[in-house]
Amino acid sequence: MRTTFLGVAVLLATPFIVATPSWAVPPVKLALQGGKIIPVVGKVIDKGTVLIEHGKITAVGADVEIPYDAMVVDVSGKVVMPGMIDAHSQRGMDVSNENAPVTPFLNVYDSIDPSKLYFEDALRDGITSIHITHGHNTVIGGLSRLIHPIGMTPEEMTQAADVALKISVAPKRGSDRMVQFATLRETFLELDDYLEKLAEKKYEESLEEKDEKIDVGPEEAQKRGKELIKFEDYDDKHANLIKLTRGELTTFVYCDRAGDVGRAIALAKKHGFFDRMVFVLGTHCYKAIAELKKAERPVVLGPELVHRERDSLTGKLVETFVPKVFADARLRFSLLPSPNTSLAERYLNYQAARCVRGGVSRSRALKAITLYPAKALGMDKKLGSLEAGKLANIVVLSGDPLDFSTWVEQVYIKGIKAYERSEDVRLKQLFGDDPAEVSEEANGDADKKAEEKTNGKADEKAGDAAAGSDKTDATTKDTPADKGESDSNN
Amino acid sequence: MNRTSRVASRWSDLRRSAFVAAVALTVMVLSMPANAAPAKRGTAYRVGKLVTMDGTDRVINNAVVLVEGSKIEGVGSRQELEVPAGYRVVNAENLWLVPGLVDAHNHTAGSLMDLNDMVYLTNPGLRTLETIVPDNEIIKSARAGGVTPVLLIPGSGTNMSGFGTVAKTGGSTVADVVQRSPGSLKIAQAGNPEWYWFGVGRSYMNYNTRQTLDKAKAYHEGWNAFEQGKTKDKPLYDPVFDGFRGLFRGEFPASVHTQIYQVVMTTVDMLSKKFGIRTVLDHSTFDGFKTAPLVVEQDMYTMNGPRQYWFDFSQRKMHGNAARWWQGGVKKLGINTDAPVVPQKELSYQAAMACWYGWLPYPALRGVTKMPAEALLIDDHVGSIEVGKDADFGLWTGDPIDPRSSCEMTVVRGKVVYDAKVKRRF
Repeated sequence: MRTTFLGVAVLLATPFIVATPSWAVPPVKLALQGGKIIPVVGKVIDKGTVLIEHGKITAVGADVEIPYDAMVVDVSGKVVMPGMIDAHSQRGMDVSNENAPVTPFLNVYDSIDPSKLYFEDALRDGITSIHITHGHNTVIGGLSRLIHPIGMTPEEMTQAADVALKISVAPKRGSDRMVQFATLRETFLELDDYLEKLAEKKYEESLEEKDEKIDVGPEEAQKRGKELIKFEDYDDKHANLIKLTRGELTTFVYCDRAGDVGRAIALAKKHGFFDRMVFVLGTHCYKAIAELKKAERPVVLGPELVHRERDSLTGKLVETFVPKVFADARLRFSLLPSPNTSLAERYLNYQAARCVRGGVSRSRALKAITLYPAKALGMDKKLGSLEAGKLANIVVLSGDPLDFSTWVEQVYIKGIKAYERSEDVRLKQLFGDDPAEVSEEANGDADKKAEEKTNGKADEKAGDAAAGSDKTDATTKDTPADKGESDSNN
Repeated sequence: MNRTSRVASRWSDLRRSAFVAAVALTVMVLSMPANAAPAKRGTAYRVGKLVTMDGTDRVINNAVVLVEGSKIEGVGSRQELEVPAGYRVVNAENLWLVPGLVDAHNHTAGSLMDLNDMVYLTNPGLRTLETIVPDNEIIKSARAGGVTPVLLIPGSGTNMSGFGTVAKTGGSTVADVVQRSPGSLKIAQAGNPEWYWFGVGRSYMNYNTRQTLDKAKAYHEGWNAFEQGKTKDKPLYDPVFDGFRGLFRGEFPASVHTQIYQVVMTTVDMLSKKFGIRTVLDHSTFDGFKTAPLVVEQDMYTMNGPRQYWFDFSQRKMHGNAARWWQGGVKKLGINTDAPVVPQKELSYQAAMACWYGWLPYPALRGVTKMPAEALLIDDHVGSIEVGKDADFGLWTGDPIDPRSSCEMTVVRGKVVYDAKVKRRF
């Protein structure tokens, strides 16, 4: 493990990873001291310490006693919060969906590409856990995986394997809802059929062992054979569906329109996975809020948070801020970053800030990017807040997470420092050697220059006015100083 | 089961013909000593420099190499080694004698029409042995480039396209040229197979390849259990999976078309680590070299190329692939041409290019001789100039890794198969 981590630092590594030793040997004990702590669960601590031992958080508070052998990192003036969680992402994979519509036997493990730039970006954006799952363009997708964005192989990246199965009740590209549901019905019917045949076979085999002949009708044989089936007897194509129908597998169900919600609930109840169901919703689904409230299952929203609809009579555009509807219904929702990397929506904290602007409480908005996705994934005992006993997945920010001038300064994953902004080569390429200082200086200089310019211009204009008004435009343009001025004015 | 039987019926005829070929080969090999004349009459090659590529990496100046029949009989400097009476002497005091170059990833020894049979996403049970065309035009050009054995493998249109054949570039009949069949199992981890049907992603491809290998392994283990007397149930003979038994016994490797980080990583993990198959990473280009720590951990062979460089857009930086593998600690490193993608005669030139992008000349020369031979498990008779090995070598005007050098003569199994003095090809 150690050598491969070193390998990551030396080879895989995207340029921002400079601190080789911190990768190779994570400090056993680490104290982040003096920062403002937003633990998400519990009250904000204005000046406190987070103590990390062996990759786990062991204490959070204002008066934490720091062991003599802990490495102390001074984060005073900064904000410490739990790492953000991307609850549903396909961006770490080569393609988000296969062409085959029903693929419960697949695993995103085979598709995760640790060298994707996305993982580097995730660190830069303060995301420490990513739920990689098949996309919406499917009927039944494969098993998903919860990973952190560091490591050379999917194994090293894994936080939890085989987390959930993906189902879409919205039509796969190129088909419609009728085909979608026909395929779903067919899949579950075929599963019943398979189970009956397997049970018969098992019963027959048990008789053969005893040298007996079949003594009962098919129904009785199936009943007796059913008890003889072990889990290993199921083939790849059916094993995960069987787990699903037994309620042993979390299922992410995608609904695109409000009407999908009721159908998804009916399907889940019929096939026994309702209690492990997580909704992934398109914006239109806010209209099914009554059904969703009654179902009380976790919800994943976004990345688009506003539903736009034109009134067909008046032509008026009606915009609805979807998270507000869910917050008012007191439903726990998770937010998603947008895959469009050029937009601000790619930052989870921006999505949360939008929620606050749209009328959602600050506490709920913060939970929507930390604790609630952890709960939806069944990982809230390990992730989602700064509490003793949880994994040390921590983000250190330059300011409030919902302030958009805030930068991610450091990221810790299981106590390993995975990101340090001052060593981020790509940011250096953008802003110069020291992003923090240079950007401030540059801004300051620009302000000063702008001031000088406006002053100068005022003087010149005053001069012009004093010289009299017979000067034509042509003569003004001839002076280089004026030319530059007019350019910058434009 | 349906699929198995269909493929079985399609290929049973060809298998029979291959059996005939194998019998013919055996008969020839057996009859050879009888034909040999009682008095030894060999050839002595007097050369300016001999690069042996043996265990101690000996380079002998003013050397003599004695060839008797198809084998090397003696190697030494002119002072140590006397030329026996009656031996024909080839005077090449200005030339280098270098082991015949070995290409571990190549499509040239067969008829190029039979490159890909894309029936399914994996097509176990196919063999390139049936497609061999000795003395074809590309093979002729291979000899002119000092290339003596090649591994003819099927294309990479599907995830598993069949078994390859190790063939010599000298010889005029199938029995003459075939060294070993199966030479390797061809697997294409991703890349070209992604275009199969309406497109396939890696989760499906890897699942499917794993399924096929699981079946093959179960077949092998079934027979193993029977042969070791653990069970009395004799398994059914299956021509599709029978070829895999040698693979799981480690008699020949899997040649894997694999490129870019994620795919190379999967190859290492799935084939070498999980299945325990002796795996050779072919191509291994783009950012594949970043997997070096994983490859070192598994102690695998890498046959790099034909692309020799990669431009990293995110870092705006040029990388020499072979150099980066070498720096990453992968010393079992060679070069391939993927001929006819790159002309077969340019194998040495590919190695030269690897050096232009930062690799070292001597390891590069080893990367086109001894390394591919070791990777293919044919280093017991080719890949170096040692007593008892096949007399496969080239006479060069200088270091083959210097692009100004040309191959003046190529010898395969003791026979001159190319002589620039008689007919220069280029």
